[in-house]
Amino acid sequence: MTKMRRRKTLLLCVASVCTLALSVSVTAQDRAKQIGGKFMCMCNCNQVLTQCNHVGCTTSTAMLKELDQAVARGDSEDVITQAFVQEFGTKVYAEPPKSGLSLVAWVLPSVYLVGGTLLVVFIISRWRSRIHLETAAASGGPSGISAEELERARRRVARETED
Amino acid sequence: MATCGLIFIATFSLVYLFFSDSYWVSYVVAHSNRDLSTFYKIAALWSGQEGSLLFWSFLLAIYVFSALFVYRNKNGELMPYVGVVLAGVQIFFLTLNNFVASPFKVLATPGANGALEIFTRADGNGLTPLLQYPEMVIHPPNLYSGYTGFTIPFAFALGALLARYPGEKWIHLTRKWTMIAWCFQTAGVLLGAHWAYAVLGWGGYWGWDPVENASLLPWLTGTAFLHSVMMQEKRGMMKVWNVWLVFLTFMLCILGTTLTRSGIVSSVHAFAQSSIGNWFVGFLALILVVCFVAYVKNRDYLKSENQLDSIVSRESSFLFNNLILLVSCVAVLSGTLFPVFSEWLSGSRISVGAPFFNKVNIPLGLILLFLTGVGPLLAWRKTSVDSLKRNFGWPSLFSLVVGAVVFALGLHEFYSLLCLILCVFVATTIAMEFYRGARVVRARSGASFAASAVDLTLRNTRRYGGYIVHMGMVLIFVGLAGAAFNKDVQKDMQIGSTLQIGRYNLLLQSFDSKPERNYTSERMVVEVMQNNKPLMMLYPERRFFQTNQESGTMVAIYSTLRDDLYVVYAGQSPETQTPVIHAYLNPLVKWIWLGGAIVVMGTIVTLLPNRRSVLAFAVVQEPSATRPLSPSLAPSVTLREGHD
Repeated sequence: MTKMRRRKTLLLCVASVCTLALSVSVTAQDRAKQIGGKFMCMCNCNQVLTQCNHVGCTTSTAMLKELDQAVARGDSEDVITQAFVQEFGTKVYAEPPKSGLSLVAWVLPSVYLVGGTLLVVFIISRWRSRIHLETAAASGGPSGISAEELERARRRVARETED
Repeated sequence: MATCGLIFIATFSLVYLFFSDSYWVSYVVAHSNRDLSTFYKIAALWSGQEGSLLFWSFLLAIYVFSALFVYRNKNGELMPYVGVVLAGVQIFFLTLNNFVASPFKVLATPGANGALEIFTRADGNGLTPLLQYPEMVIHPPNLYSGYTGFTIPFAFALGALLARYPGEKWIHLTRKWTMIAWCFQTAGVLLGAHWAYAVLGWGGYWGWDPVENASLLPWLTGTAFLHSVMMQEKRGMMKVWNVWLVFLTFMLCILGTTLTRSGIVSSVHAFAQSSIGNWFVGFLALILVVCFVAYVKNRDYLKSENQLDSIVSRESSFLFNNLILLVSCVAVLSGTLFPVFSEWLSGSRISVGAPFFNKVNIPLGLILLFLTGVGPLLAWRKTSVDSLKRNFGWPSLFSLVVGAVVFALGLHEFYSLLCLILCVFVATTIAMEFYRGARVVRARSGASFAASAVDLTLRNTRRYGGYIVHMGMVLIFVGLAGAAFNKDVQKDMQIGSTLQIGRYNLLLQSFDSKPERNYTSERMVVEVMQNNKPLMMLYPERRFFQTNQESGTMVAIYSTLRDDLYVVYAGQSPETQTPVIHAYLNPLVKWIWLGGAIVVMGTIVTLLPNRRSVLAFAVVQEPSATRPLSPSLAPSVTLREGHD
């Protein structure tokens, strides 16, 4: 290996190590941000921890510091979450956990949507079945249309076709 | 009229007390001070519980007086019922103003003889810094005008039900009132979002705070009503549903007020916890009972006239539109109340924050956006396959092509991509509708295309105004989609140091502190550079108000259609004592405010009367040598435009 080539390899190694170190630090920052997005700030502002920007909010500053330390220690997300819940209670969650009573909060919107859709489908099918019955009844009746009925039908057509 | 006049006198008396620095009135002391500018002394009127309730009564009185005046000699069978309902609502608020939360309480202490002695403070506590922002002078009046405005359709719906008033007349009578209330509610919600964006300094505009949610709930049901009401007008369907939607909208206005004024839910901008919530709960229960009894007694009057002919029809699209709006409303309501219920059931409060509401509402919003494009182009009763192809073929193809291009350019975030595709789809369907209509008008009139489009809109303001509203909503969705790509950087800054965010480079030029009339300001002078060229100066600051020992942030925003550079002075670093800058780059935010303005403009268009073609007869002298016919026998018909 020539001197030049060795120097190039060394440079590449140094660059790789630097990039790796940088990426680890960026990942730790991102991780803290990602985990912090799952907690509420406990200053009663009703905002997510990473978004609380109240002037002089000491609560969010202390919580973020604690979070950064935990991430730097390499604690897992579960461990960090448990520690925060132990310290602040369940109201620290930014979104309800998907277990126990909190699961109800997640299930309810789907229940509304499914229930509502079924209701709409039921209404539509009932309306449609009724119209079939009416059509059948009308076809069996007398064919003559009175002037009054004709006028009513004209008014209805005019109303329903105008935009 | 007398009630309206007296409420006016009461409201202007309170405003006068603010302007005259009457620091012997408790409410004035709590919300004003001598250095407060005139502009904000007006806003002080609604900044507290008591004043805002008086302001509510004031707006309600304007609506009540206007409605009773407009219909004073009309609809004799209906108006007495409407008047009673309106009077009932007004009496409730006047009861609160007079006996529960009076803004005219004076500062007094028991004297030597046992009698109360009034005393005057030298100065007041001042207005909360968060409220000292121009939008706080226009946001609450808009929102309250929306809340109070829904009282009119509510009173007409309940009155019509009680009077068994025939047909859809109550809907025709209240359509404009509902549109006005909805317009105010929309403007109020968006101004509130803009205020949160520009003042709270967290880089966002919607945090799903209970107070924000409370303003959104009646907007959702009001929007559902504005759509479903067309089914009743056109086809005599959904009568029960419409009546209950109006009831629900009004009840949600009261419920929202209950939530924010009772302290049931915690919020950064809710009023202090007080017993006033019990009054609202009682009023809400009373409304519910009255509505239910009225419905049960008169439900046969609400029998539907027609049935649904086809699933692929405008009727069914409105049904699904209502379904999504209602599901969203109930989901937001249950999410807002879940912490309270969880505390009741398990003893520990479980928070429901923005991530939950976003996860639930983003898919619903996208379905709604899809229906916004599809619904108006489906025919009433039944839509043929040919019509579907004609109306949706090109928009579908075009939106998919745009989606593919944008995906290839690097937009891989699922919801944002889907949102963009749907926005293009809806915008194309609307543009095609305008194009087709304007082409017909142009062929007849020979006017320019733009003039033809305007003419078309004025001929059917309701339809084309509706399209403009939909286009505004599309722009709002474009803006919301940008939130997925927000960036932010926080850095301790020495004078002369720089911070890079996106394509911008921020240079801290100086940092100073100077006293102003009502506060002391700490201000950063930041030069914004792009491609190493100076672009502009920004001045993020923090204001410290001596009177109430509170601070407020003044965010500096450089806004373009592409993105907002949002710069916050985040105080001084405890370790280094250097100023800290928190910069955000929020893509497409301006589209939201632009879309909001278009929504309001479209709503105003829908309120205009239609311009109609009328036949005018004119005598034309025949130039030929033949004997002219009598004018009465040979009229020449010309087309003239006129407003009805």
